[in-house]
Amino acid sequence: MTFIVRQIATTADGREIVRSNPFDSDQIGIGRSTENAIHLPDLAVNPDHATISKREDGHIVVESTSGQNFTLDGKHRVSVTIDPADGAELGFGGHVIIVGEEEGQILFTVKRVEALSDSAEDRSESTLYTLQGLLPGKRISAWGFVGLVLAAFLIWPIYTWATYRGVEERPDQFHADTMWSSGALSQAHHSLEGDCQACHVDAFVTVTDKTCLTCHEDDAHDHAKPDRLLTARGGPEGFEKIGAAFASAFNKPPGRCVECHTEHEGAGAMEPTAQKFCADCHEGMDGRLTDTKLENASDFGLEHPQFRPAVLQKPGGKNPPRKRISLDEKPTEYNGLKFPHDLHLSKTGGVAQMGRRLSAKYDFGPSLVCKDCHTPDPKGVRFEPVDMQEDCGMCHSLAFDEIGGTVRTLRHGEPDMVRADLRAYYRSTRPTRPINLGGMKRRRPGASNDIRVASDYARAVQFRPSRANLAINEVFSRGGACFDCHGITPPTARGRVDFGIKPVTQTDRYMHNGWFSHQAHNDEECTSCHTADTSNDARDLLLPGIKTCRECHGGEFQKASDVPSTCAMCHDYHADEGAPWLIKEQQKDKRKKPDKKIAQR
Amino acid sequence: MASNAVASQTGRKKVAMHDGFLKHAGFRWLKISSGIILLCIVSYIFIDVSPRHNGGSWYGYTLGTIGALLILWLTMLGVRKRAMTSGSWSLKAWTSAHIYLGLSLIVIGTLHTGFQLGWNIHTAAYVFMMIVIISGIFGIYFYATIPDKLSDNRDEMTETEMLENLRSLDRQLHESAQPLSAEHAALVLQSLEQDPFGGGFMRRIAGKYPDCATRIAQADLRRERAYQPKMGGDDPLDKVDALLEKKEATLARVRRHLRLKAMLQVWLFIHVPMTFALIGSLSAHIISVFFYW
Amino acid sequence: MSEWQGGDRKRVSDKYRVVIVGSGPAGMSAAGRAAQKKLKHVLLEKTDHLSDTIFKYQKGKHVMATPSQLVLRSDMDFDAGKREAILGTWDEQTAGHGVNVQYNAEPVKIEGDEGDFTISLKDGSTIKAETIVMAIGTQGNPNLVRCPVEDGSNVQYQLDDPGEYYDEHITVIGSGDAGIENALGLAADAAQNNIVTILNRSPEFARAKKANVKLLMEAKENGKVDVRTETTPSEIKNGELVLETRDGQETIQCDRIIARMGSAPPRKFVEECGIEFTSEDREAYPKLSPAFESTKKGIYVIGALAGYPLIKHCMNQGYDVIEFINGNTDLKPADEPILEEKFSSLPKGKSVDEWLEFFRANISILNELSPLQMREFMLDSEPRRYGRGDVVFEKNEPGSSLFAIAQGSVAVEIDPNDPSITVPIEEGSIFGEVGLISGRRRGATINAAEDLIVVEISRTAALKLQASVPAAKRAITNISTERQLLQMFGSGLTKEDIAEVVETSEIVNVRAGEAIIEEGSEGNDIYVVRVGSMVVEKEIGGKPVFLSYLPAGSYVGEMTLIAGGYRTATVKAAIKSEVIKINGDAFKKVLDQHPDLMRKAKKEMASRQDVNAFIEAKKDSFSGVVDYYSGVANFLIDNGIGEATDVLLIDENLCVGCDNCEKACADSHEGLSRLDREAGRTYAHLHVPTSCRHCEHPHCMSDCPPDAIHRGPDGEVFIDDTCIGCGNCQRYCPYGVIRMDKVPPKKPSLLSWLFFGSGPGPGEPDKAWVADNTDPSVEKAKKAIKCDMCAGIAGGPACVRACPTGAAIRVAPEEFLTVAKLESEDA
Repeated sequence: MTFIVRQIATTADGREIVRSNPFDSDQIGIGRSTENAIHLPDLAVNPDHATISKREDGHIVVESTSGQNFTLDGKHRVSVTIDPADGAELGFGGHVIIVGEEEGQILFTVKRVEALSDSAEDRSESTLYTLQGLLPGKRISAWGFVGLVLAAFLIWPIYTWATYRGVEERPDQFHADTMWSSGALSQAHHSLEGDCQACHVDAFVTVTDKTCLTCHEDDAHDHAKPDRLLTARGGPEGFEKIGAAFASAFNKPPGRCVECHTEHEGAGAMEPTAQKFCADCHEGMDGRLTDTKLENASDFGLEHPQFRPAVLQKPGGKNPPRKRISLDEKPTEYNGLKFPHDLHLSKTGGVAQMGRRLSAKYDFGPSLVCKDCHTPDPKGVRFEPVDMQEDCGMCHSLAFDEIGGTVRTLRHGEPDMVRADLRAYYRSTRPTRPINLGGMKRRRPGASNDIRVASDYARAVQFRPSRANLAINEVFSRGGACFDCHGITPPTARGRVDFGIKPVTQTDRYMHNGWFSHQAHNDEECTSCHTADTSNDARDLLLPGIKTCRECHGGEFQKASDVPSTCAMCHDYHADEGAPWLIKEQQKDKRKKPDKKIAQR
Repeated sequence: MASNAVASQTGRKKVAMHDGFLKHAGFRWLKISSGIILLCIVSYIFIDVSPRHNGGSWYGYTLGTIGALLILWLTMLGVRKRAMTSGSWSLKAWTSAHIYLGLSLIVIGTLHTGFQLGWNIHTAAYVFMMIVIISGIFGIYFYATIPDKLSDNRDEMTETEMLENLRSLDRQLHESAQPLSAEHAALVLQSLEQDPFGGGFMRRIAGKYPDCATRIAQADLRRERAYQPKMGGDDPLDKVDALLEKKEATLARVRRHLRLKAMLQVWLFIHVPMTFALIGSLSAHIISVFFYW
Repeated sequence: MSEWQGGDRKRVSDKYRVVIVGSGPAGMSAAGRAAQKKLKHVLLEKTDHLSDTIFKYQKGKHVMATPSQLVLRSDMDFDAGKREAILGTWDEQTAGHGVNVQYNAEPVKIEGDEGDFTISLKDGSTIKAETIVMAIGTQGNPNLVRCPVEDGSNVQYQLDDPGEYYDEHITVIGSGDAGIENALGLAADAAQNNIVTILNRSPEFARAKKANVKLLMEAKENGKVDVRTETTPSEIKNGELVLETRDGQETIQCDRIIARMGSAPPRKFVEECGIEFTSEDREAYPKLSPAFESTKKGIYVIGALAGYPLIKHCMNQGYDVIEFINGNTDLKPADEPILEEKFSSLPKGKSVDEWLEFFRANISILNELSPLQMREFMLDSEPRRYGRGDVVFEKNEPGSSLFAIAQGSVAVEIDPNDPSITVPIEEGSIFGEVGLISGRRRGATINAAEDLIVVEISRTAALKLQASVPAAKRAITNISTERQLLQMFGSGLTKEDIAEVVETSEIVNVRAGEAIIEEGSEGNDIYVVRVGSMVVEKEIGGKPVFLSYLPAGSYVGEMTLIAGGYRTATVKAAIKSEVIKINGDAFKKVLDQHPDLMRKAKKEMASRQDVNAFIEAKKDSFSGVVDYYSGVANFLIDNGIGEATDVLLIDENLCVGCDNCEKACADSHEGLSRLDREAGRTYAHLHVPTSCRHCEHPHCMSDCPPDAIHRGPDGEVFIDDTCIGCGNCQRYCPYGVIRMDKVPPKKPSLLSWLFFGSGPGPGEPDKAWVADNTDPSVEKAKKAIKCDMCAGIAGGPACVRACPTGAAIRVAPEEFLTVAKLESEDA
C-alpha cells in the first residue's frame, strides 16, 4: 500500500526532470515544510496544508489540516474523497497534483504550473521597458486622428455641399461647410454667413460675377466696358506673371468683382477698394489704352492730372454747354452776372460802409464775407445758388416809390414788369404844383409872374408821362439797378426802351467724376482755396488747382502729409451723384462709434 | 610614424563629428532657420498685401506652400530614421534640421494665417501644428536633459540584467521564505506576485508606486519584529528582510529607469499622432480652399 | 583474397595491406577507397563510433563544405549539412562499401618497417600491416586522471549535454575553458539541483578566458558552484572523492567526475613511430613526400595531422593516399585545378609542379618547404605578376599580407614627398612584412622595378610558414626590424648606415601594463613598438597622468638620447606588445652622421614636449580636467582600446537609448545586429558598447579553419562567407563581440510596418517572430557575425549615421586625446 510521489521539475531549456519516490504509509502530508511527503516549495501553500489518507475501499481522502482550502478540478474544497482509478487534479497554490493509479499503486504527479514570481514569467524584452500597452499605440491613434479629421473637416462639408447643390436657399441651420469659412463676412453679406453656396456654387470654380449680380443687379454698373477695362489693365509683368500663371492654372479669370471686393475679411464694413486696384489700370494707362482721353494717375500725391472742371461755355438754358478745361489753362467762365468779389470783400470803401450801416439789420461783420451771400446746401457739401432777394437785395434795393410807408420795388427777373411799373408811376403822378397857383401862400406881386408860372406848370403837366421812358432807360443803362449786375440787351430800335436781361447760370458742381465736400473742409478759410478777395471780375473761375489740394492732401504713400488720400477719397469705382463709398463709410463711422479701423490708405 | 599621421587625419574628421544634435555643425540649422524666420518677418512687414495679410494673398499662398512642404518633409524624419539606406547621410543632421526648421514653422505658419484665426478648419490645422511643435519642444528638452541621468541610474546595468536581477532576487526570496509561517509567507508572496512593470502610465511617469507590495511587506515584517526579542541563530526572517531590502533597492533603480525612459518616449505619443492629425487637417484645409475657390 | 569478407573479426591477426589509423574524414575516405580497391585493410577507431571529432560537435551543428571550389574526390559522399545527417551518410556508406572497421582500437605503439609493421593496441592485441595510413587528426587523447579510480565510479572526459544530469554531486576537474563551461552548464539550472564542484590545481584560473572566469566567480558568489583552488583529486571512490587540499585531505560526496584536463597532442606518439616533423614548433607538421609518405617509409600521414584541417581536403587525401599506395603514381592531387587556376595569371609554359618548384627555389624563405607544404602553402597564397613600374601597393593602404619576390625586383619609395628616391629590394627577398607584423597600414609605396612575379602570402599562411620553417621566421624578423627602422627614420638612410643599430637591437616581449621606460630612470635606449601599443604616462602631483598613446610603428625614448638627462615619462604596454630595443649609443652615432635625421627627431621631440607642456598647463589651471582626462584615457585602454584600430564609443550625455544604432546595424546586415549598445563599461558617461574594436592583431583570426577572417581595405576586420560556423573566433574574442547566429527571414517592407505594423519593425526581429516565420524544412547554418564597419556600404558605419543625437562616434586610439579633451570640455 504505497503512494508514489512523482515531482516533475522543468529546466530552463524546457526538459522535464522527474523525481519519484514511494511512501509506505496510509497517510502522507502535503505542505511547504519539508517534513511532508508531498513537499510543495510554494509560499501560497501552508507549511502543513493538507493530508492524504487511504481508505480501505481504495479511495483516498484529501483533507485540509490548515483550514486553507485547495482546489479539486478547479473547485475550492477543504476535504474531498477521490477514487484514484478515475484520477483527479488537485490544486495547491501554484502547484497541481495529478492523482492517478499505476499498477495498483496510487500515483501523485506534482507539477508547478505558475511561475514562482511575476517577474519570472517570460516577457518580450523589446517592449518591456517601453510605454507600449500603457498608452494607445502611436500607429492606431495616428490613423484614428487622420480618419477623424478627414471625416469631420472634409467629407462632411463636401457631403453638405453635395446635398444642397442647386438649392435656392439653404435652410437656416448649421451646415458643415461653414467650417471652411476663412473668416466672417462683411455686414452687407452677413445674412449669407450660413449659406456658403450662395456664392460658392460649383466645386473648384471661383466665385463669378454672375453670383454677385443676382443681388446687385442695379447698383453695380460697370466702371467701363469690360474689354476696355482688361486692356487698360494690361498684361501682367515680372512677378505678376507668376501670379497670373497661378491664377489661370487654378482657373481664376481676371477682372471679377471679387478681385477688388475681397470677402471673409472679418465682420464690419466691406473694405474700400484699395488704390492699388485703381492704379493697376490708371497708372500709365495711355500706354495700354491708347485712345483714352484720361490722363494717367497712380497716386494723388505723385501722379494725378490737374483738375479739369466742367466750365460753362454759355449761360442760360436748361443745361447749358460745358467744357472740361484743365485749370492750368486758366479758364474763365461767364455766367451772365457782373460781380467784383474784391469790391464786396474789401474791408474799406462804400460796400464795407454800407455793410456796417446795415449791420444792425443783417448781422454783417465789419466788412462783408463769403457767407453773407453764399449759403451752403443742406448737406454742406456745396452751395445754394446765389439769390437776388436773399443775398443781394439787402444792399441792392430795387425800391422806386413809397405810398403810405409801403415801398414799391421793381420785379427782379421780369424786365417788362419793370418797364410797366415805371410807366404807370409816371402816368399816375403829376409834377409838384407851384405855390403861386392858388393856395393861401404868399405870392410875388405882379400878374405877369402868375401867368408865367401857370403856363410853366401847364407845360410840365402836359409832358409828365414822357418822363417814364427816361427812367426806364436809366434803370437798364450804366448806373441803373439792372445794369449793375446783369448783362443788358439793347433796345431793338432807336427811341424804344425794350431792354433785355442776358441769361444767368450758376454752376453748382464743377467736378462730376471727383468728389469734394466743403463740409469736410469747414475749418478752412474760404479764401485759402478760393482767391475771391483779389478777383475783380465775375468771369474769374475761382477753383483751386491740384497744387492747393496737395498742400494738405498727400498721396497714399505720403503718410507724412496731413491727409494721406487714396483715390477712394474723391473717386468711386461705381461713380454716382453721391459721395464716394469710402467717405460714406467714414461718416457712418463718425456717427456710430467705430469698432474697427478702416485701412487708411 | 606614417600610421600615426594617417589615423589622426581621419581622426580629426571623426572628432569634429562629435557634437550633439543641437550644436550639430556649429548650429548650422539654427542659423538657417533663424535666417528663414527673419526673412519671413521682414517680408511680412514690408510686403504690403491689400486689403490686409491673410492666407489668401499671393504672399499667404507662398508661405502656406512652404509651410505645407516643410511639414511633409519634417514628417519624413520618421522614415529616414528607420530606412537604413546607404549613402552618406547622418540622422543627427536630420534631427538637427528637423528641430530647427520645425521651430521656424511656428513663424511661417503664424504669418501664413495673417493672425486671422477663427472656429474653422484652417485654424484647426494651425492648432494641430502648434500642438505638434510644442510637444516637440518638450521632446527636445527631455532629449537634452535626461540621457546622463539615465546613464547614471543604470550604472552599466543592462535592462536584461535588471530583469534577471529581479528574477534571481525573487527566486532567493522564494527559497528563503520556505520555512516561514503562512502569514509571513503571504507577505512575501505579495511581493513576488506583484508585477514590477505594472501600475499603469501615471505611476510610471511619476515613478511613484504607493502600493509597492515589497515595501509594504518589508514594513509589516519590521513592524512586527520591532518588539520581538532578537532570537539568536539564523532567523529566516532576517534573510527575507535583507532580500526584501535588496529587491526594493533594485525596484527603485528599475522604476527610475522606467520613468526616465517613459519621459523620453511619452512626448512621441502626442507628437506622432498629432503630426498625422495635422497632415489630415492640412489636406482638408488645402482641398477646402480650392473646393470653395 | 576473394574469401575475405569486410568486418570479419577473426582474421585481424593476419597481415593487412594497409592499416588506417583514425576514422575521421581522411581515414574513413581512405578506408572506403581501400575497400573499393579490394585491398586488405582495417580501419582502427579508438572510440565506438566513426570520426570522433565531428561526432563531438554540438547536436544539430551545421557542417560546412569548404573550400567550395575544391572538387570532392572520394568514395564517401560529403556535403554541407547537419552533423547528424553527415555522420549518418558516412556510417551507412562505410558499411555499404564493406569497410572493415575495428572500434575501440587505439594504437599505442607501432614497430617494424615498410611491409611489416606491428601495431599494438591498447587492449594488448596486435595487428600486422604492410603500410600504415595515419589519419589521427590533431585532437589527440584527453589527459586521464592520474589518481587511483575505484571501478564503477563514473569518470568521463567530455560532457555532451549538461542538461541530462540532475540531483547529482558532480566534480569537474580542470581549470580550462572547457572545465569552467561544463561546470557552469551543470549548475546553470536550479531545477537540475546538481551540486557542482570544480577543482583547480593552481590558485588562479590562468588558462581560461576572462569572461568565463568572471562567470565562474559569479556562480561561486551565488553558491551555485563550489570552486576549490589549489586542490587535486587523490582518490576516486564510488560516490566519493578524496581531495588533496592545502590543508590536508578532504572527502566530498561525488557521483560523477568530469575530467577536462586538456589533451596530449598526438605528436609524441607520431614521433615515436619514427616520423620527423619540420620543426619543434607547436604548429609544425610532419615532413611529407608529395605522396603523403612520411620520413618513415611505409607510413603515410594525411588529414589535419598533415596540416589540412578542412574535411574536403582530408577526404581527397584519403582517396589519394590509397591510390598512391596502390601504385598509381601519376595521380594528380585534387587541388591541382585550384592551383592551375591560380597560376593561370602567370606566363604560360610551366606546369603546376614546375611553378611550385620555381617559387620554392627562388624565394629564400620558402627554400625549406616540402613539395606538399608548397601545395598547401600556395593554396592560401596568391602568385601575382606586375609589369615594370606597376604599383604593388600604395603607402597607407591597409593590408596584412606578405610579399615574396620570385622573379625581378621592386623599388620602395622611402620619401613620400619625392617618389624618385627609392630603395631596391632584390629577387628572393620579401616585402610588406611591416603590415604583416603590426597589422597597420602600408608604410611605403612599392613599384615593380622590372617585370615582376611575386607571391602574396596571406597573414595566416605567413604565420603557418613561420611556424613550420624557423629559418623563415628568423629571416622575416630580421628583415622587418631593419625595414621598420629604415622606414621610420627614412631620410635616405641605407642598410649600411643602420647595420650596427640592427646588430645591437633586440626584440623584447612586453606584458600588458609592463613598463619599458620608467620616469626618472637612467638610460638612453630607444624603443620601437613593433607589435601592440604603448601608453606614455607622467607622474604629476603623485598621480600618473596619461600623456599620449603610441601605436605600433612608432618609437619612443629619443628625448633622453638627444636632450640627455633622465627619462621624463613612463612608457608601458597598453596590451601585450613586442618592442625593438635599440642601443642608444649606436643610434646616437647614426643621428650624428645624419643631421637631417637629427632635425626630424628633434621635431618629433618638440611635438611631444608640447603635449607635456599642455598637460602641465592644464594641471596648474584645474587639475580636475587632467585627472578626468587621464581617467578616461586609462579607462579606454583598460577596455582593450589599446589594441583597437577603430572602436565605437557612445557619449551617454547624448544617448537617449533608442537603440537605433543596433537597429541600423541589423538592418544593414541581413537583420542581425553586431553590437550591443547597453552592455559594456561606462566611465564618466563615456560608454564602450559591446562591438568590435578591429584589433590590430585580431584575436578572432588566431584560429579560423577556413581562413575566413580578413582585414579589409579600411582596416576593418571582417568575416567572409566561407565561414564554417565553428565558433573559434567567438571563443577567441576577449570582448565577446562575435555571435553565432542564423540569418533571420526577410522582413516585410518598412512602409508596410510603418502604416500597418506588419512584421517586427526595424532592427533585429525578436526570437518569437523569427521562429514563426522561418521554414523549418530548410536548414540554415549558424555563422559568425561581427562588425565589418559597414564595409562596402556607402556612407560608412550605419551605427554612427543612424544615431539621432550624435552620441555614437567611432574613434581610432590615436584620438583618445582629442575625444578625452572634448569630453572634459563637455563635462
